[in-house]
Amino acid sequence: MIKKFISLKFIFLAIFFLIVFNGCVWQPQKYGDPKLIVCTTTIIGDAVKELVKERYSVKTLMGAGIDPHMYEAKPSDIRALGNARVVVYNGLHLEGKMTDLFERMKDEKQIIAFSNGMDNNRLIKVNSHTFDPHVWFDPLLWLDGVKESANQLIKIFPKDKEFILSNYKSLENDYKRLNQDLKYQIHSIPKSQRVLITSHDAFHYFGKAFDLEVLAIQGVSTVSEPGLKNVSNLVNLIVKRKVKAIFIESSVSSKSIKAVIEGCKTKGQIVKIGGTLYSDALGDKKSGANTYIGMMRKNVKTLALALKVKYKKYVELN
Amino acid sequence: MGINDLLTLITALLIAWSCSLLGCFLVLRKAVMVGDAISHSVLPGIVIAYLVSSNFNSVFMLIGAAFFGVFTTVIIDFFHKKLKLQEDASIGITFTWLFALGVILIALFTDGNADLDQDCVLFGELGTTFLDKVIYNGRLFGTRSMLMILPVFILVVLFVVVGFKGLQILSFHEEFAKSKGINVNFWHYSFMALVSITTVMSFESVGAVLVVGLLVIPPATSYLLVERLIPMLWLSCLVSTISSLLGYFASIYFDVSISSMIVVTSGAIFILVIIYTKLKIAFRKKIVNL
Repeated sequence: MIKKFISLKFIFLAIFFLIVFNGCVWQPQKYGDPKLIVCTTTIIGDAVKELVKERYSVKTLMGAGIDPHMYEAKPSDIRALGNARVVVYNGLHLEGKMTDLFERMKDEKQIIAFSNGMDNNRLIKVNSHTFDPHVWFDPLLWLDGVKESANQLIKIFPKDKEFILSNYKSLENDYKRLNQDLKYQIHSIPKSQRVLITSHDAFHYFGKAFDLEVLAIQGVSTVSEPGLKNVSNLVNLIVKRKVKAIFIESSVSSKSIKAVIEGCKTKGQIVKIGGTLYSDALGDKKSGANTYIGMMRKNVKTLALALKVKYKKYVELN
Repeated sequence: MGINDLLTLITALLIAWSCSLLGCFLVLRKAVMVGDAISHSVLPGIVIAYLVSSNFNSVFMLIGAAFFGVFTTVIIDFFHKKLKLQEDASIGITFTWLFALGVILIALFTDGNADLDQDCVLFGELGTTFLDKVIYNGRLFGTRSMLMILPVFILVVLFVVVGFKGLQILSFHEEFAKSKGINVNFWHYSFMALVSITTVMSFESVGAVLVVGLLVIPPATSYLLVERLIPMLWLSCLVSTISSLLGYFASIYFDVSISSMIVVTSGAIFILVIIYTKLKIAFRKKIVNL
């Protein structure tokens, strides 16, 4: 019995070796669909869609409201990745393990990383060798990423140079105006009340760009549990500064936020939940936060409404 | 079915066979949750690899994880054999402790801020493996995961074939083996080292749930059906093959994660087998009563 077992296994192994180590002739079929651009997050997808409009098809992998850490690729997503001519991603390790994959796909596809267009000095360090990946919360920094991808797209599709360039120009105008508007809006909140407290550390760029103090219960990674000291420090700070509201994020759980609210209540300070902020993904069509500009406006509106007595109406762009 | 499906399936099958072969011995020794334990206890290894290499390169991560995988099995064994603690308690203590240690290390040495955990730096995804083709001189040699898993698979098969007697006697009569002067420790440690290397390498290619699932479900299924070791090994491979194939095509059809679908399929097969064995027993009783 054992002898028979051994011989069968060896025959099977030998066949296997033959198949694998002979290799098969491979004609690199670089891309199945020469007009397909695949983007990782909805925020990147929105920028790329604005750049190429209907001339190319843009597919986003991580849909509305999905935390990039929790993303699991569906077979159709992966097939799209395999067929795509261009893959656009955020970089700075936002995409986790998939970043490795994109780096290795460079021979077969055109890969664009938004973070490549950004000046390292303007990025926020989380420790000596990694950067905070939530770069889109600073509209001007994000614009550098958009510029980089516009330049790369022009290299890939030279015959659409004029088209992409003019789209970029109008996008640049929009983003700059958005930046102005939001700055005005946030600066109308009294300085002492300009504190943004959320569940996870996604808003540091936002705080830096708009002069807002940002505090979070959880670190950049959504996996680690919030420390007890963190929670009690936050509670003390809220009581001391008389902060009116703290915020929930669209893609991260709100359990720890509730702990902070309870903590404040025992110390006599009533804090309300100011609303839900969009962090790692855009919202759906109904929410009005389905574009980058819409999302940023919505966040600032939520902030201003909760932190300020009166909400000043600002000039809408569209 | 295109070349991409074929490449994905070959990767899935190589892992399925390695896991279901090793899983048989683990099931017999009541130590099958070692796989799950390793999936958690590699965290300190990843953190240390990150601190040493200061980037997220998966080669360093793999080395750190493999080291801690082996370390895990050594500690489990120390608790179980030397301190006479139950196997399940030893496994539980070891992996929760190591995982928690990893969380503390992240908090202390990376300013609590690095985006670091198994899911985003080590665990792969079966579906994306075909994107990473190895092409040399215009010839396709497979995917990176396939070529990483293949040596492991060959090692597993060789180990099971060459060391069959040792493994068999270790799984059923450990005391008897000792009394016959067989080097129990050698077989035990080389088997456990192989288990940890196989699981860590497979995690890197296809993620945790598939590996842990395939390590326990197909062997448990075939354990219900046959009573001897060699048929159990073959049947376990067969079950994992069927669940990989069915699961793969079902995942394409429903457009859901391939790994999860394969595990769901093998679970469904397990349930069908339970129903079959129960019915068989009930039927036999009826005949006896008549």
